[in-house]
Amino acid sequence: MKRRNFNALLAAAAATGLLGPSLAGCGSSGSSGAGADTFTIWDYESDDSAMGQAWARAIEIFKEQHPEVTVRIEEQTFEQLQKNAKIVLTGDDVPDIMEYNKGNSTSGQLASQGLLEPLTEQATERGWDTKLAASLQTTARYTEDGLMGDGDWYGVPNYGEYVFVYYNQDLFDAQGLTVPTTLKEFEAVCDAFVAAGQIPLAEAGSEYPMGQLWYQLVLAHADRSFVNAYQLFEDDVDWSADPIKAGTEKLVDWISKGYVAADSAGLTAEDAGTAFINGSYPMFVSGSWWFGRIVADMTQANWDQFLFPGTELFPGSSGNLWVVPTNAKNKELAYDFIDITLSDEVQAILGEKGGLPVAADPSTIADDKTRTMTENFAQINEADGLAFYPDWPVPGFYDQITSAMQSLINGTKSGEAVLAELQAAYEEGKADMDIED
Amino acid sequence: MVQTNRPAHPRARGLAYLPYLLPGMVAFTVIILVPLALNLWYSLHRWKGGMSPMRFIGLDNYAELARDEKFWASFSNSLSMIVAMVIIPTLIGLVLAAVLFDYVGKHFSSRTAAALRAMYYLPQILPISVAGIVWNWILNSQTGAVNTILRGLGVASPPNWLGSTSTALGSVMLVLIWIQIGYPTVIFMSALQRVDPELYEAAELDGAGWLARFRAITVPQIRPETFVIVLTCTIAALKVFAPIYVLTRGGPESSTLVPSYYSYLNFFDKSKVGYGAAISTVLTLVIIVIAGVIQVFQNRSARREEEGR
Repeated sequence: MKRRNFNALLAAAAATGLLGPSLAGCGSSGSSGAGADTFTIWDYESDDSAMGQAWARAIEIFKEQHPEVTVRIEEQTFEQLQKNAKIVLTGDDVPDIMEYNKGNSTSGQLASQGLLEPLTEQATERGWDTKLAASLQTTARYTEDGLMGDGDWYGVPNYGEYVFVYYNQDLFDAQGLTVPTTLKEFEAVCDAFVAAGQIPLAEAGSEYPMGQLWYQLVLAHADRSFVNAYQLFEDDVDWSADPIKAGTEKLVDWISKGYVAADSAGLTAEDAGTAFINGSYPMFVSGSWWFGRIVADMTQANWDQFLFPGTELFPGSSGNLWVVPTNAKNKELAYDFIDITLSDEVQAILGEKGGLPVAADPSTIADDKTRTMTENFAQINEADGLAFYPDWPVPGFYDQITSAMQSLINGTKSGEAVLAELQAAYEEGKADMDIED
Repeated sequence: MVQTNRPAHPRARGLAYLPYLLPGMVAFTVIILVPLALNLWYSLHRWKGGMSPMRFIGLDNYAELARDEKFWASFSNSLSMIVAMVIIPTLIGLVLAAVLFDYVGKHFSSRTAAALRAMYYLPQILPISVAGIVWNWILNSQTGAVNTILRGLGVASPPNWLGSTSTALGSVMLVLIWIQIGYPTVIFMSALQRVDPELYEAAELDGAGWLARFRAITVPQIRPETFVIVLTCTIAALKVFAPIYVLTRGGPESSTLVPSYYSYLNFFDKSKVGYGAAISTVLTLVIIVIAGVIQVFQNRSARREEEGR
């Protein structure tokens, strides 16, 4: 509480320019020598990515609006920030705004340690809270313990990501199949491929794809209250009942029917993606992060996309966040910059480049496939349908889920046995987190 | 202090070497002793790392370790690592070195032997991450070279090398053997150059065949080098990390889990720093004990050799 008051005071002082010169004086011993007229941005997106291009335009606009300010962009790497942010942000030589990974163990940790400026006031004043859909806001807000979904705003996302189905139109046509709109139809499509000696789903057991398919099948039997219980600990999760039971049984059934290659337990996401691109499989259930790659590489076959049928909830979340360090010197400028990144013009660039804008009008996008992907994302957001990722709730869960999926693919353990193990790890992780209170 | 005292007290002269040891002792303290002590200290806590609070829990982490099936499984996998990184490579290296030195070196040219030796050593030079990725390609269940060849030969469902619990450990062991062979081969070849050729000549005059000479002269003569190889490779096998990380990440289903990787998982993935520290403390102790045992054997062997002469 005390810290927050102090932060507010500091922010107010910085805003009125009282602290600016004195802090700049302190900073002169550092390497940057940044003063009130230097605005420092840290990010780790490559220049040719949708985000890189959109933000380059945002910086141009920012410069036009603030001609007196020198903008300094410092390229970081994801890993570097991930490891060092905790230490770097305690010092004086911090950026005014920084891109950072979302979630409990990243932004949440920084927020709970008082290293990030609360943005709630700005979010309501500047209308960020109405621009961002509810499930996108989940990753922007953190409690005092650093758990996402509630409490103050500590970050603002510009873009999103979600999981859908990529399919090979040529292979569908060869079997006379059309895009399924229900889970039953999806299974009928898979059965048709299996009957034709074709494994329907490109999968990978040693990395995220299989775990996401499992979570998607659980979500197909779930509602928002399950997601809130599972991800935000709002309620206890019953691992022996639906939706987890139904989703897991469905997955076990799919494996036994041969929807997934029996030898895919040791494969990586890269293996599965390239196998789909090569035309070895008709479908690939994975995320929007594959979109650019598939556009670029899958040129010898017709492909398209559809939303996983029979569900309102999809694995996905906001992208990384813009956060403002507590020790930042130019917080008002940082808020202005966030405003610009959420502006129609910048969001339109994100959309045009396939970057899934969080506040844009998809109808202006020229490319059909990009527009469909963005429209689907907007539709999911309107329905509050982003359900995050299966490994998010507790630390180390990614490894647990991967191992569980390998057991299911290899048939070495039953669905019940796997769920019992996951439950134990989930409860243990949850207990570990409460201890920090 | 020591220097000023030296002329007055002759006994202090024995300590005159101290200043020369000091840099090494400081480095040893900073780089080894302090982290070791900290690791031990962390292992007595429940701690998420970073700026989060530490909670002293005594030996609870160790008690939990004793009950942790994964931990024991990782140590039993260490035995397989010793087979793959010490026993098999040393045996193969011994034979290879003898063949290269005795046969190839003499019947072809020493240059051929040197070229072959360099080739066997190549996997040791290759960064493990690169070698791991290449082996991942070769052993990939669907697109890998091995299974493509097997399918070409008519095998309908070739093994899922790195993806099945029954074959993953064996596959990792094969890769490790491939990586390790060069090391004992190179050491043994230089050891063989040290052996007095007269011994071989005498044996040859007595009518001893190649195998008899190998057994009676080569093996006993290069025993010191054998101990060095066994010691260094055993330590390497116990703390093996990188090959596991690039090949299987301990999977599938923990079938290739090793203690160092399990410790890493707890440190970084699960943020259970105290537990990870407990694992690495136990691992350190095991390594010290095993290294000590090997040293005792080596000393005993060296003494016996001296007495024999």
